[in-house]
Amino acid sequence: MDRQSKTLEIMRRIGAPKPEKIRITGILQSPELSSLTLLLPGGNSDSSAAVLKLLGTQSINIRFINKYKDSAGNTSLCICIDAEFLDAALNLLDVNEKSLGVRDFMYHPRVKVISIYPHKERPRIAERLLTTLRMNGIYILSVNNASSVISCVLNAEDVENALARLGDAFELP
Amino acid sequence: MGVTETLEIFPLKILRDLIQINFLRLPTRPGATRPLFDLLERHNVSVKFLLEGCAGDFNRDLIICVTNDCFSRLEPELKEVTTRMQAQAVELRRSVAVVRVLGPHFDIRPGTSGLLFGALEQAGITVFSIATTITSSMCIIPDDQLEAAERVIGRTFDIPKKK
Repeated sequence: MDRQSKTLEIMRRIGAPKPEKIRITGILQSPELSSLTLLLPGGNSDSSAAVLKLLGTQSINIRFINKYKDSAGNTSLCICIDAEFLDAALNLLDVNEKSLGVRDFMYHPRVKVISIYPHKERPRIAERLLTTLRMNGIYILSVNNASSVISCVLNAEDVENALARLGDAFELP
Repeated sequence: MGVTETLEIFPLKILRDLIQINFLRLPTRPGATRPLFDLLERHNVSVKFLLEGCAGDFNRDLIICVTNDCFSRLEPELKEVTTRMQAQAVELRRSVAVVRVLGPHFDIRPGTSGLLFGALEQAGITVFSIATTITSSMCIIPDDQLEAAERVIGRTFDIPKKK
């Protein structure tokens, strides 16, 4: 049993009291996507804009972006694209790997973005979302807030379970 | 490129004089971020920007932005919270702004993100972080580059004048 599973098991046995549901307006689910995470050289100017432009030239649709500088000073760029364009994107990045300076690269072929709204910058919505999913052993690939929603990228096979668990944590109209 | 016409967007939403707090290499265990979110909730702090990404070895990086005023309420407890979260490092970036671009359908128009961030890059604007979902894209830039960024975005998209 790995460390995370042990923690989950202990928490289940302890049986933490069930918190009151938080009222929200809705949960959105994206179509099936693929996620690509690239590690790019850091610095104030990096090649993330070049990656986005490159995908745009091939009409590859980007539905989710997370970019930030990690602790090692690299730029981490996570994007979600329509799943049918995964091969085209991989080929494109492969051909341009050197010029973009890609240091590391991984992808998940089948993911979905789940968005909860309204978020309204409230910390407890984010906390409930992350804790609910992780308590139920659902791996979260990426999280962000943009405008009035908070979104997370999940493996597509986890989405049904995630929606059921979120239905226990949030009150929908 | 998928985008040829000038796309119309809503007036920009700009939040300036913020502090970016990076909690680096947090464990993935459930509830790891709870001490932070409890602290924010207790002090009634709005999270202006939030992003979490994979930091390798089952660790996560969490980035938030709050106002300067809110940060002064959080600061006395930040060290203790960082320890409880088991973050391996915490970094602060002061004097940043969050710019929200809403409306050009990032989700269904290929090339829109490249258009926006390509233009900002070409103009020499430093973009520390990006969070894009559905029809909205938010980015963190230095406060002192805000006016230049507004001009660039105004040239790239069609922004109706505020009434």
